[in-house]
Amino acid sequence: MNSPTGQPAERWTRSAVWRAQHRIAANDSWRKLLHRPVATGLVWLVVAISLALPSALLLTVANLRPIVPDLARSAQLSVMLDREADRASAEAVQDQIENWSQIDAVRLVSREQALSEFGEQTGLATLLASLDRNPLPHTLRVLPRLPAHDSALNHLIGELESLPNVTRVVADTRWMSRLEETLVAGERWVLALGGAMILGAILALANTLHLAIDARREEILVVRVIGGSPAFVRRPFLYTGLYFGVGGGVLAALMLWALSLWLTGPVNALFLLYDSPGQLQGPGLVYPLALILLGAIIGWLVSWAAAEHYFRQLETR
Amino acid sequence: MIEFERVSRRFGDLDALRHLNLTIDQGEMAFITGHSGAGKSTLLRLLLLLDRPSSGEIRVKGELTSAIRSHRVPRYRRRFGVVFQDHRLLFDRSVHDNVALPLVIAGFSPRESARRVRAALDKVGLLAQESVNPATLSGGEQQRVGIARAVVARPEFLIADEPTGNLDPQLSSEIMALFEAFNQVGVTVLVATHDLSLISQLRHRIVTLSSGRLASAETP
Repeated sequence: MNSPTGQPAERWTRSAVWRAQHRIAANDSWRKLLHRPVATGLVWLVVAISLALPSALLLTVANLRPIVPDLARSAQLSVMLDREADRASAEAVQDQIENWSQIDAVRLVSREQALSEFGEQTGLATLLASLDRNPLPHTLRVLPRLPAHDSALNHLIGELESLPNVTRVVADTRWMSRLEETLVAGERWVLALGGAMILGAILALANTLHLAIDARREEILVVRVIGGSPAFVRRPFLYTGLYFGVGGGVLAALMLWALSLWLTGPVNALFLLYDSPGQLQGPGLVYPLALILLGAIIGWLVSWAAAEHYFRQLETR
Repeated sequence: MIEFERVSRRFGDLDALRHLNLTIDQGEMAFITGHSGAGKSTLLRLLLLLDRPSSGEIRVKGELTSAIRSHRVPRYRRRFGVVFQDHRLLFDRSVHDNVALPLVIAGFSPRESARRVRAALDKVGLLAQESVNPATLSGGEQQRVGIARAVVARPEFLIADEPTGNLDPQLSSEIMALFEAFNQVGVTVLVATHDLSLISQLRHRIVTLSSGRLASAETP
């Protein structure tokens, strides 16, 4: 028999003890979860939905992002020249601005060309032919190199307007800025909604974990008296929280995958209809891994906080 | 050796313990008695550092308990085996796993742990019930499982708070005999009880508390 102070040779090293206690806590918590499959499944669902919905919206925004610059790039500026300016001065302006760094291409549309295009488009060719003089000016179609939302575009318009022989620069960029702003607002909406949903998941988890801890109140009290450290008491609940979080994350990843599979067909057809080379960008590997990691972090932290809160209440009793 | 030096514990206006001086020798077995509210449980709680004295000092083998930092408290508590009045077994696991709990906390290998659990259960006469759920046992048997759990890690001190409170005289004297057996192998035993008729038959010191004060400390 060993001395009553008990330092037996059979006692393990510290790290072996630590590992063994973790293994026991991990297995124990897992068994307890499986013991109540419906309750566990519901917690997983709550966490999964709270994580999947905002990430699905985020994925939608990520899919819209690359399309918008395409639309924006097609924004042309129409540089209207002075009605009195002749073709030579129009060409001079064209030559002048062609090699500006902000400009991709310049095309001269002569007033004759413009008139016949207008006539063709409106069906008023005969009426226009009866006019004694062409009311249209020479026009330069300018394709800027800048994205539409950039304030640099307004700057470019200002510069073009200050050129000699230029009367007006027409750019219908407003709807594009609107689209851009809508997208920014959409992103913020997604972030706010995501934050709220994750907060909801945290509160649901906190409540569930509080109940799980409270159900083992007797065990906690006994273990405390017979010398279990706070870490030992806390450990099974950390694993419970971790399982809730990781399970929810895995389920959320599956939901996201299923959703994107379901949408790939129609969305790609839509892209094709709009002559966009785009393809629906699925969740890939990053989204599922991020969801599982996020679930794990939330589960672990919430269980830590719930346990600390519970034990503090116990101490002050 | 456990020494209480002018220990007081005040709860508001109430003195649960007042200037208590008491020494329990190494290897001694002593009873603490008195009416309910006399301070028995407070004394045990202070010893286990579940509570701290308002004034005075408690020394265990010369070590000042007030100097024990909170992160050292669990290790300190492992030097004590504790038996509760209501045994406080966990009904979600077998008798074996209940008794093994202190060994899991202290970090014994499963093999050594199983050996010690069986030895402890054998000592309290419940080896055959190792794998049953403690809820199926009688009150006396449950208390014996509680004692097995208290002694399985071979503590220096065995502390019991009203261990026979819910048991009939026959079972009570069996429990006391168990405590005496552990005392005979060198464990210091401290039992709080108000069962005077039982302890007067045993030849151990009886410390009587009254309103938080030491009323008498008879040595047989």
